[in-house]
Amino acid sequence: MSIKNRWFALVVGLLSVALVFGAACGGDDDDDGDGGGETPSAGASATPSGGGDGDQAPADQQKISIQFPEPEFYDPHRSNFEQDIGVERMLFRGLYNLTDDGSGGVKVENAMAAGDPTINGAVYTVKLGAHKWSDGKAVTAQDFVYGITRACDPAVASPYQYLLGAGLGDVVGCDALTKNEDPAQAETLKAALGVKAVDETTLEITLTKAIPTFKTVFSLWPTFPARQDVIEAKGDAWTDAGNIVTNGPFTISAKTPGDSVVLAPNANWAGKKPALQEITIKFIDDIAAAYKAFQNGELQATSILSTDIKTAKADADLADQLVVVGSARITAVEIQMENEALSDLNLRMALSRSIDRETLNNIVYDGSHKPATYWVVEGVTGFQGNAAFEDKIGYDVDAAKAALKAYTDSGKTLPTLRFTTRDTPQRRNEFDFLSKAWKDTLGIEVTPEFVDSKTRSQRFNAEDFDLFPGGWQLDYPDIENPLVGLFDTDGGNNHYNCSMPEIDAAFAEANAATSNEARIKAYQKVETLVVTNLCGVIPMYQDGLPFLVSDKLGGVVPNGTIDAGLPGTYCVECWFVKK
Amino acid sequence: MATTTTEGSGSARLFVAEQELGKQRGLWGDAFRRLLRNRLATAAGALLLIIFALAFVGARWGPVARYGPDDRDYTPGAQQAGPTWDHWFGTDQLGRDLFARVLEGTRISLQIGLGTQLLVLAIGIAVGSAAAFGGKLGDNLLMRFTDIWFSIPDLLAIILLRAVLVGRDIPILTEPKVLMIVAIAMVQWTTVARLVRGQMLSLAERDFVTAARALGASRTSIVFKHMLPNTLGPVIVAITFGIPVAIFAEAALGFVGLGVPPPAASLGTLVNVGYSLIQRNTWAVVFPAAAIAMLMLSFTFLGDGLRDALDPRTR
Amino acid sequence: MLAYTIRRLLWAIPVLWAIATITFLLMHAVPGGPFTQDKTLPPATQAALNRRYNLDEPLPKQYVLYLWNGMQGDLGLSVKGDQEVSDVVRRTFFVTAQLGALGFLLAVLVGMTLGTLSALNHNGPLDYLGVAFATIGASVPHFIMGAFLVIVFAVQLSWLDVLGWGGPLKVGQITDLGVYDYRKLIIPVVAVSTLPAAFIARITRASVLEVLSQDYIRTARAKGLRERRGVLRHTIKNAMIPVLTLMGPLFAGLVTGSFIIETMFGIPGLGRESIRAVIARDYNVIMGTTLLFTFIVVMSNLFVDLMYAVVDPRIRYS
Repeated sequence: MSIKNRWFALVVGLLSVALVFGAACGGDDDDDGDGGGETPSAGASATPSGGGDGDQAPADQQKISIQFPEPEFYDPHRSNFEQDIGVERMLFRGLYNLTDDGSGGVKVENAMAAGDPTINGAVYTVKLGAHKWSDGKAVTAQDFVYGITRACDPAVASPYQYLLGAGLGDVVGCDALTKNEDPAQAETLKAALGVKAVDETTLEITLTKAIPTFKTVFSLWPTFPARQDVIEAKGDAWTDAGNIVTNGPFTISAKTPGDSVVLAPNANWAGKKPALQEITIKFIDDIAAAYKAFQNGELQATSILSTDIKTAKADADLADQLVVVGSARITAVEIQMENEALSDLNLRMALSRSIDRETLNNIVYDGSHKPATYWVVEGVTGFQGNAAFEDKIGYDVDAAKAALKAYTDSGKTLPTLRFTTRDTPQRRNEFDFLSKAWKDTLGIEVTPEFVDSKTRSQRFNAEDFDLFPGGWQLDYPDIENPLVGLFDTDGGNNHYNCSMPEIDAAFAEANAATSNEARIKAYQKVETLVVTNLCGVIPMYQDGLPFLVSDKLGGVVPNGTIDAGLPGTYCVECWFVKK
Repeated sequence: MATTTTEGSGSARLFVAEQELGKQRGLWGDAFRRLLRNRLATAAGALLLIIFALAFVGARWGPVARYGPDDRDYTPGAQQAGPTWDHWFGTDQLGRDLFARVLEGTRISLQIGLGTQLLVLAIGIAVGSAAAFGGKLGDNLLMRFTDIWFSIPDLLAIILLRAVLVGRDIPILTEPKVLMIVAIAMVQWTTVARLVRGQMLSLAERDFVTAARALGASRTSIVFKHMLPNTLGPVIVAITFGIPVAIFAEAALGFVGLGVPPPAASLGTLVNVGYSLIQRNTWAVVFPAAAIAMLMLSFTFLGDGLRDALDPRTR
Repeated sequence: MLAYTIRRLLWAIPVLWAIATITFLLMHAVPGGPFTQDKTLPPATQAALNRRYNLDEPLPKQYVLYLWNGMQGDLGLSVKGDQEVSDVVRRTFFVTAQLGALGFLLAVLVGMTLGTLSALNHNGPLDYLGVAFATIGASVPHFIMGAFLVIVFAVQLSWLDVLGWGGPLKVGQITDLGVYDYRKLIIPVVAVSTLPAAFIARITRASVLEVLSQDYIRTARAKGLRERRGVLRHTIKNAMIPVLTLMGPLFAGLVTGSFIIETMFGIPGLGRESIRAVIARDYNVIMGTTLLFTFIVVMSNLFVDLMYAVVDPRIRYS
């Protein structure tokens, strides 16, 4: 290669880089509109309005594509992830169904059940309505017995078995069956399970004690019915297109692993007739790319990154298609109470009161979340909100310094704390924000440990952490769910080692409550004690999830406490393409 | 050139040494002259010097960096801005100056590139010479092992090694950069080891080594005085080419979120963050990406120049 | 030659075994398991899941079981949806192979054309362009190239798309023209092909230059053989040797180097699947993908050596 050649190479190289710069520059001018960032966008949580059936486009246009991460299982008794559950609720229904009550709350309605259960002590008898599977066979009490047995069967290994176990569903014999390792015992234990078919349409469910949340629990995916004949004939392939038999509004017509699944209406579905004739669920993990696809019209609904909210707001087309939904999850700085320094309430208080949640949310999360000093999420009966706690644990530099002084005055030294978090751009920014706040306000050094998600969870389970941003996603919208097991001294998910006699007493009170009001009051007491004592958690924000939902798509009513994957997925039969 | 008729092994040894020294001085001098004559390589070298100065000195010197890589600006509108006179490369999501961030990232990428090659050099020379002089068995073992090690895709091996090493309480490895250096070096050392071995085996047959051996020079002195210096040329070339490969590996992994763990951000991580915000602020990708491209181009040009200079036969 | 090939093929077995062992050890040294999550599973559930995937056995036994089943062609189940690992590997490799093949094809076309034109136009403007391309293309990482392409053609100009794979996902769809979407194909294919194209251009140019300077070509020219025909006949044929030998590793590099590009563009290929598997601790998939990658590398090395013998009769293996 001659020298002259190489010089020319360099010049061409620099020129081409310059070209790219030029192109990027041109684009930036277009974006100058949002440079000021002062224009308030009211469309932030605009709800795409429903509208009557009159708006509907003709049947041949009732086709949509939506974005989802790829589900691992389509089998409700094996699923572990939100995307699995989201799709399963389009395909299957339980005895009852959770839906929006019209004012942002949640109501329980009948699905396969014909009405309320008759309760005799802890024995619940449910009459089934006239419903059919997608192959035309009737939905029977036997199908429920088989389904619930699968949820408890260790050979199936349902990750959500605990929803039917002690303390939550309380189904007689479920825990015993799950714990069994002796194959010879399996049939006996299955027979002893507290779920019986009295006849084709009568189901008898025996619990260890009466629970006020019966209808809620029996609307959840582990309690969905299942077809013994289909599953035994097809084995693990029973959820493949062509094999699958569903009892919900939709069924699977095609499945391409790694790419998409296509749903078609279940002709035998007796509930509200779906308007959509075809839903293509595209498996897209890279939601930055999904944003682009939505703009191109390839997708009618997608989740987006919170970092894209501002871009969407600034875009005239996208602004009113942006939906930000408060999800059923609080993210907190979780605390290891066994750590000597952190066992002191003054230090925890100092940490909590130096977090400017408002600015954190605006800077790191583009305002997508709701700053929170509460632990029970909005949308759940018994919600107390910031009003109850803001002045006790909220941002207040003076109070933070005073708390720190009380801590050091007792002769203790400032600790260096570990902060274990996931390695994503936003978590990085979150750490940068918090560590600087603690350093500047309190002089406390925090060393980060950035790890991948499994390592992180493993640390959490092994209780090998000091500070740990994490939270609790509600399994079902009831005040007990984010509390039971997390803050009671012996709780299975109490990795904080939060242990306070007052909290345990309040749990006992809730357990003994005879009325629902008293129960909720007792749990509110638990929440108050947890939050004001920062017993294991320093709440930061209630997660808000940003989505783009096409203005051509009607009937989508977001409800953060029951959505899974996309807004309004709890009632996909309500969706329709507008004219 | 000293010619002597004096009898005796002592002066004969001196003769050999002088011969070789002269030859070496000539070799390196020639090489350097050849390198300087290659103006593109010289330009690349000069550019690298400037980059080094910017990344290691400028980043800590007020008039150049002007902002610390971690200086925030939370005032509304100060984040995700494009380039201005104040922020030459614009700002990131926390309102930090991207120019300062890119300088810091460049420093980290350079540290990774150089650190990896240092480690590669150490392991490579040790294992390579051991294999060359370890007899047939040692030689075979190394060759089979490098064969196997060559067969795993580099990035996959680095990802696995990184996953194993990250978050452990192994003393030095808690430092994120060191962790990455070790993970990459573990994959890269085989090239240098093979090179060293090959050079040594072929040198062992060359005249001056045979002469030195005949004159009773000890094994160690042969290796360190005569053979190692002569393997250096190809090794230096390999190392120079190894630097951009290491920088690429780290940047590529950083791009998919598996690079140097924070708090510090390497160039790859900056591209990763920028790419996730590409709709918002294209500049946040353009600058760190251009920095990576520039680093890799410079090292490649320099490596080309060095190869041509040190080993004229490959021209 | 045959004996040599067989010996090399047999050597692949200990290599695969060694890689399997190293990978097995490494992946079990990574903290956490496939069912580790924040919401701790009750011990009974955890135990049931482990039993389902044979993870309750002691490690040495798992290792032996894996090797034993693997030898019988059973690579186990993925914890993601219980898919057969062999299916997962086959499915994802089909996509990666297409990306590799398309990238390779483009690289060969562009590289050889540019290289030949460069050489024929020695020190002319075309040569400068070719050399510039060869130098820059060889040192700019593919994901940087990808990012620039995205910025220009997808973000600024909106000509192309960057989401998913624009070709068939199942073997049966190859002939279905409806599944091809060039808007999605172009950026990833161009991004992966730049580096090999640059290499091929460089080698082709050097090799054509060398052949052109050789006596028999000079003779042919002197005898008045017309320039174009002479070049086509003699030069290209002889210049092919070094290029051909390079193709094996380049193709293997394309296929095994797909991690970043696939992750970047959400392409459901082997590379993206293996990154997912490492992060999800999906042990059987990690093993399966690593072994396939290794196999490809081993085969491509063998291919190179055999190609030497085919194109250059002077080389003999015994």
